[in-house]
Amino acid sequence: MSEVILTVNKLSKCFSGQMVIDRLSFTIHQGECLAIFAPAGAGKTTLIRILSGLDTQDSGQFELFDDFPVTMFQEHRLFPFMTVKDNIFLPLVAQDRKITPQIQQNYQEWIDVCELGAFQEKYPWQLSGGMKQKTALIRALLQQPKFALLDEPFQSIGVKAKQTLIQHIKNACPGISLLLITHNPDEVQQLAQCVLVFEQACLTQGRQITQSDFSKWNPTAVFPAAPIDSQNYSNHLPVVADDCSIK
Amino acid sequence: MKNSKLFITTLRTEAIGFAIILLIWGVGTLIYPSHIIPSPIAVLTDAREYLPKDISHHVLLTAGRVLSGFALSISIGTLLGIGAYLQKWVPALNSLMSALQVLPGVILGVIFLLMFGLGSTVPILLITFLVLPTIAITTANGLAKKNTALEEYLKTVKSNKATIWKTIYLPALIPVLLSNFSLGVSMAAKVVVLGEFVGSQDGLGYLLNRAQITFNMKEVFFYLIILLVFTLLVQSLLAFFSSVFFKKYFYAE
Repeated sequence: MSEVILTVNKLSKCFSGQMVIDRLSFTIHQGECLAIFAPAGAGKTTLIRILSGLDTQDSGQFELFDDFPVTMFQEHRLFPFMTVKDNIFLPLVAQDRKITPQIQQNYQEWIDVCELGAFQEKYPWQLSGGMKQKTALIRALLQQPKFALLDEPFQSIGVKAKQTLIQHIKNACPGISLLLITHNPDEVQQLAQCVLVFEQACLTQGRQITQSDFSKWNPTAVFPAAPIDSQNYSNHLPVVADDCSIK
Repeated sequence: MKNSKLFITTLRTEAIGFAIILLIWGVGTLIYPSHIIPSPIAVLTDAREYLPKDISHHVLLTAGRVLSGFALSISIGTLLGIGAYLQKWVPALNSLMSALQVLPGVILGVIFLLMFGLGSTVPILLITFLVLPTIAITTANGLAKKNTALEEYLKTVKSNKATIWKTIYLPALIPVLLSNFSLGVSMAAKVVVLGEFVGSQDGLGYLLNRAQITFNMKEVFFYLIILLVFTLLVQSLLAFFSSVFFKKYFYAE
């Protein structure tokens, strides 16, 4: 078994008396992608905020074994007065890190894959929603991080472009560990090895299933369009697998 | 070439404002007799008769005082606003500055006159004390409107402080600074008249006061035009520099 990169142990968070995360536990190993599949308002973004250090949990702990984890939020969070290129290189500048020739080469590859070549000097307000999302994704993954928290990273991106991007992530960031939050079953099938499925509007002891079980379940047949309604899919979940590292 | 075109454009905008004021003035001359509102043409043509010989000396003195007071109030006010925001003293700053704003300018002028005597100190200090509260309050409140979503993003990448200042605080400050510049210079031009009236024996404020005592309305209007032109010129310069240096911060949402 490869080394552990993230352990979450009985994590709980409550807002105004309403539990949004309830004793959540799971582990992610190096090179593993864990997807979280839950209805809207279930506390997924809260989990991302806690894991990225922006919020604190009420109880429980988590341990992240990476000095520079990256977070890609649901909204693109691009700096409106900076060009696409400046936005992408901003994390490096903010961390006083050098832009090496290798990073430049990676940047060029990402720009080509995302078809943003003609837009490098444009500002976010001059881009479409999909282009902004691609820019935010490049900014997150350009430095080939060990671990990334991705909150619905492919929203507003077309199906074909998404497939190309997922393939490029696999090529450009081999060994990356991901915590992927998504409403789209296709993304789970293409990226994740393990899926946490939650039935209620609260992240608690979710059903743990492997990617292959998730594929058999074929949620697209049940829910052709995201977002997924918890009442719809709870009866269609596959059997819980034993070999996932979710406790 | 591009910049000079830009400057001409900003100057043209201010000139339009000036033309509108002249128009309103012209209409006023049709309603009121010339001893109350003299015509713009009469004010200019008769200028030689009533203007003192050393008018340029007075104009330069007033311009220097306006710019000095304005620079002081902008610098101190901005620093106070930033400091109060960072130290979470904004409510205390608001109370203190509101108290300063309540103080009547004439009383403050007399106090400064007793403290420093006649000269440039009184008008400069008066501008500083009367303009500074607005600058400090708007700066502190403007910083509170920083983009917290982007600040959070920088926290997740463990950003250095310089980048946070450059990309979060500075963009929040720029619109506030620009409106402070515009507001501050107009206020300074107004306050200098009071300052020179109370604590000086030269400058446009002094001449204006002397003219209004004798009801020499042509002279009064002439000095008002000079103050107006001066303010519009400084406004044009500020608008030009902000377009050149801060253009990238004016973006569509």
